[in-house]
Amino acid sequence: MTAHEIPGTDPTRKMEADLVRFISEAGWEEAQTRRAEAAFSDLAIRSFRIQCDTIPEYGAYARHIGRWSGRSGDWREIPPVPCSAFKEHGLSAARAGDGAAVRGEAPASPAVTFETSGTTITRPGRVQLKSTRLYETSLLKSFARHLLPDGARLKIIIFGPTRAESPHSSLWFMADRVAGRLCDAPIWIVEHGEPRWERADAELARSRDDRVPVLLLGTTLLLRAYVERCDRRGLRFALPPGSRAMDTGGAKGTRVELLRNDIAASFHSVLGIPPTHLVNEYGMAEMGSQFYEDTLLAAHERRPARAGFVIPPWVRTRVLDPETMLDLPEGRPGLLVHYDLANLDVPLAIQTEDVGAVAGNRLTLEGRLREAERRGCSLPFEQFLERERGARADPAPGMPR
Amino acid sequence: MTQGLFDAFYLPPDVERDADTSVQRFGPPHDAIELRLATVSPASIETWVEAIRSARAEHLARRPAAEIHRVLERVAQRFLDPQSPVRRNAIAWLAHSGRFSTPMIERALTDTFGPLSAGGVSRWVASEVGSATALDHPTPDRKGIPRQAFGPEWMLQIYAGNVPGLPVWPFYSALAMKSALFAKASSQEPVLAPLLARTIAEEDRGLGACIAVVWWKGGTIELDRAAVRRAPAVLAFGGENSTMSIARETHPEAKIVIHGSKVSVAYISRASLTRPGLGSLAARAAFDVALYDQQGCLSPHAFYVERGGDVGPAAFASALGGALETLRDGLPRREPEASQAARVQLYRAQAHFEEATGSRGTQVLASSEGTDWTLVYEDGARFEPTPAYRTVRVHAVDGVQEVEAALAPAARFIEAIGLEAKGRERVALAAALAAMGVPRIAPLGALQSPSLVGTHGGLHRLLPFLRWTTVETGPRSSAVRRPHRPKRKSGRSR
Repeated sequence: MTAHEIPGTDPTRKMEADLVRFISEAGWEEAQTRRAEAAFSDLAIRSFRIQCDTIPEYGAYARHIGRWSGRSGDWREIPPVPCSAFKEHGLSAARAGDGAAVRGEAPASPAVTFETSGTTITRPGRVQLKSTRLYETSLLKSFARHLLPDGARLKIIIFGPTRAESPHSSLWFMADRVAGRLCDAPIWIVEHGEPRWERADAELARSRDDRVPVLLLGTTLLLRAYVERCDRRGLRFALPPGSRAMDTGGAKGTRVELLRNDIAASFHSVLGIPPTHLVNEYGMAEMGSQFYEDTLLAAHERRPARAGFVIPPWVRTRVLDPETMLDLPEGRPGLLVHYDLANLDVPLAIQTEDVGAVAGNRLTLEGRLREAERRGCSLPFEQFLERERGARADPAPGMPR
Repeated sequence: MTQGLFDAFYLPPDVERDADTSVQRFGPPHDAIELRLATVSPASIETWVEAIRSARAEHLARRPAAEIHRVLERVAQRFLDPQSPVRRNAIAWLAHSGRFSTPMIERALTDTFGPLSAGGVSRWVASEVGSATALDHPTPDRKGIPRQAFGPEWMLQIYAGNVPGLPVWPFYSALAMKSALFAKASSQEPVLAPLLARTIAEEDRGLGACIAVVWWKGGTIELDRAAVRRAPAVLAFGGENSTMSIARETHPEAKIVIHGSKVSVAYISRASLTRPGLGSLAARAAFDVALYDQQGCLSPHAFYVERGGDVGPAAFASALGGALETLRDGLPRREPEASQAARVQLYRAQAHFEEATGSRGTQVLASSEGTDWTLVYEDGARFEPTPAYRTVRVHAVDGVQEVEAALAPAARFIEAIGLEAKGRERVALAAALAAMGVPRIAPLGALQSPSLVGTHGGLHRLLPFLRWTTVETGPRSSAVRRPHRPKRKSGRSR
């Protein structure tokens, strides 16, 4: 009998409490220390063992590829699940209750269900969480550090729909929690799938006139569409100092090749938000944690920004040679595998198809292969899906996540 | 030979003198090549098109087609001759541009130029037009009716770089029907089209004056528009987004053929699965997969294999894996970019996941090292393109109906079906597969060798662009009815 089978204890909730404590207490500069590494490894392996039991498909996968026990005590031994596996398999402790894993069984009332945007090789999938405690702990700590390092409490303008309108988007869930916990007076710009630009016009004008800084949050595509619209109409908002924006998505998987410098320049000229106050975020529905640029934090700490995204201390990112699947030396680009302690109801180790490099606690992404150039007569999977879906529009503008 | 710059454009000498050029690096940073490119603007496009149009009037329009075809055949021969500097230069630059291994490039040149040499162009034209002289003057067709075919005054062709050799047949099609050619090369493969143009110009200055090959970044709207807007004919290869925008800009009366993105599959009947034949069958299947690393629309992504043969689908899968392993050295793959390899790895991991948890009897076979090849075996038919670079699925099936059902929603994405069956069974299976509207059904091992006199995307290569004049001679009698006009003494038709 293992510890988590002792009657009267719920090993998952105990684990969750330990993970919440770790994330809450984790120091941003400590990730590299031996002590931090040992603590990470210990929690990751405990969490992995629980996940093998609570997520039956993951347990079967881990056993199948022969790394079931995690005996070596190294978190790198934990087998990453392909992010595409969320497609058909619930792949969540929230789905199968006690692990009976009856296919087609109604989920054991997950607290949230996120839909993934799908990978280039699969259709969209689902991420179900029984509890959002870990997700929120990770989110609020990271967001506060990278968007609100000055402790400001700002009015938030969300360039997206409300959670009620888009209940299966992890991004709009995230916006909802940020709005509820860290900001004031949220305004949503997208309603019934349509952007209500005039709402943004009014809010930004008010912010400018009242000299009250605001926080803008949304997809790069939607924010950029707004900025371009303002530009076309000659609208300019010199937002008061302290105003800032978080954008996400951008070049990833979109048709538009978005150049970071152009975006930063247009935010500055149209909205008066300087490049130091524009923070790009990288995240995925399959992960409870997100990665942020440290532009605003750097400005707050009066130092130059460092390139790339900050890897939170409760996340490890391995960079593997995509041919050999062996770890690459620091700084060399390769296939990314994330180990996220904020994932408990879903596997913590996720194999992506993204390519990037890690140096210290910095992650730089090499944008998805640019397919702008005509790829010829061979059919790429994205396009197959795109055409198969036909004219079906995205549920919300921007990137579903 | 491949040191220094490559001139990745061709303009007739008179025009080239006035063209501005610049040097750009193409390809991944560690393996880029330097290309000299003509600077393209809407005005320069207009000038160049004007130049090739007037050259056409002078050198092409009134010249006997058979003479032009002979020039083109001689050029093809130069690309075939192993000793010819033209072929060696082409191989060196194509290898240097980095998308395919040298054995694959040699194979591509041989397969592409072979059918065009030694009377090949004439036979091709005859198969579609009847005879070369029908391009010169009214010539009696099979029914004895004199007809003359006119190619468009000029053609815009937009190439893709996914398969080496892709520009060649379209290039020849324009000149063979006496059309001037304005071609946009691909940045993935900027080599062959300009080399071909230069070789044609060396062989025949008049023909060379009717060709322009340049490159600009796809999606540069004002350039796309300038080229497409007045083109009387357009032949383009590309993905959905790029080709849709081309289609929108074309002249309403232009003749347009667009080859969008497709893949191929294969079907193997149980009667073909014999123990003695398995090795050869697997070798042919592996060749179709390996050639061009599944970058073309003729590359199979799935094999549907009937159960109940002398050897089963699983044994075929295993033999195919062995044959793919053999081709690692026999027909080496170029290493894919990191993002492409990452997709293959994700695909493999996903297949392992299905192996562990699924109910379709999934099994994964893969190269001993690297992503060189991946084979996923499973029960039952379904269709999804793989991430390519020698990644295939083998499906055990009960019969063709199961495959028809799986392919039906995707039939429009399928260019060809490799069919392994014999005799009456082959006829019946081919009929069932043809009923889905798939353009081509071919034997395994020959999927990547389409016939020049066949079709691409279900369309002939010349006919969609030709306009005809028919000289009618009869009837002379009262059969001519002119209900609204008074009868004339003479029954002569107008």
